Amino acid sequence: MNELTQSQASVNPIGCGDNTGCLPSCAPLANPYVPFQRENAKKYEAPNALIRGTLFPGLDLPFMGLVNRQEIHTPLGELMALNFAMQELGLYLDTHQNDTEALTLFQQYSDLYQEGRKTYEAQYGPLQQMDGAVDGRYAWLQDPWPWDYVEAGGED
Amino acid sequence: MFIYDKKLQYPVKIANTNPQLATIIITQYGGPDGELGASLRYLSQRFAMPFPELKGLLTDIGTEELGHLEMIGAIVHQLTRNLTEEQMRAEGFSTYFVDHTAGVYPVAASGAPWTAASMQSTGDPIADLSEDMAAEQKARKTYDNILRLSDDPDVNDVIKFLREREIVHFQRFGEAMQLLREKLDQKNVYFMNPALDL
Repeated sequence: MNELTQSQASVNPIGCGDNTGCLPSCAPLANPYVPFQRENAKKYEAPNALIRGTLFPGLDLPFMGLVNRQEIHTPLGELMALNFAMQELGLYLDTHQNDTEALTLFQQYSDLYQEGRKTYEAQYGPLQQMDGAVDGRYAWLQDPWPWDYVEAGGED
Repeated sequence: MFIYDKKLQYPVKIANTNPQLATIIITQYGGPDGELGASLRYLSQRFAMPFPELKGLLTDIGTEELGHLEMIGAIVHQLTRNLTEEQMRAEGFSTYFVDHTAGVYPVAASGAPWTAASMQSTGDPIADLSEDMAAEQKARKTYDNILRLSDDPDVNDVIKFLREREIVHFQRFGEAMQLLREKLDQKNVYFMNPALDL
């Protein structure tokens, strides 16, 4: 099976902003087109990306100007932000696998996330079952579970 | 295989119980444009996809949608916790309560239980990716409508996040369509089915 080559359409044209992308100049009829997001697009920092729901300001298109502004400062929130940035870059790389700058950033967030996980788990308990044995105890079962409501001030 | 990560993708912390709102939110759990259908659609369609980029994207978005299903379930669960007798009898919620108590069940807000008839897996990559783009728009629409109907800031915070994900996924499916098209007959991309004939 052939691997797809990087789309020619992903090369950045001159004069296009972050909220625009590239289209072929002579597109065949009867085909749907979404502009291809260009490389080196502006990116939010991870904590802000989580709040906005995307890493990319160019794709940040809220309904009726309704946007989240409240920062997420809990230890789990910080871990979620690193995980989210990595995940969002992963989807981007699925369609832009030759963007080396994005790949480097993906690697950086992946490293930070893995470090952050270890620190978090040491303090708050396992995030995966394989880390569930802690000091002779099956800590996997400890509350809270992700859907439990935790009072303000508690670790969520 | 799948490994469970004991955390949500985005925090869900709903301070106030509101079972009537839960009967609206539940539509993104088991409704026609909800997260259960989204995850099953992508995770099923991927088996027929011919290129690694398409297999990867459907796997990754399908997996993310499972996380969204969990977030919607968490919202419904928190909106229906510690119900008072009066809340159990609340207009619009009592019909859900009699069947499911405060359990989370995949059903549309308009009452139909989740059905695979609300999704497709055609075995035709162009048809599937076209459906996927439409599916993201339909889910985005539902989140828009929830934002119109809900005045709970804790719920809306999560809904805004989920809504934005639909827009990003639409973008990626559109790009995937372009990547696929570049591999097909440039004079006629409908010449054959790349899932069968490549």
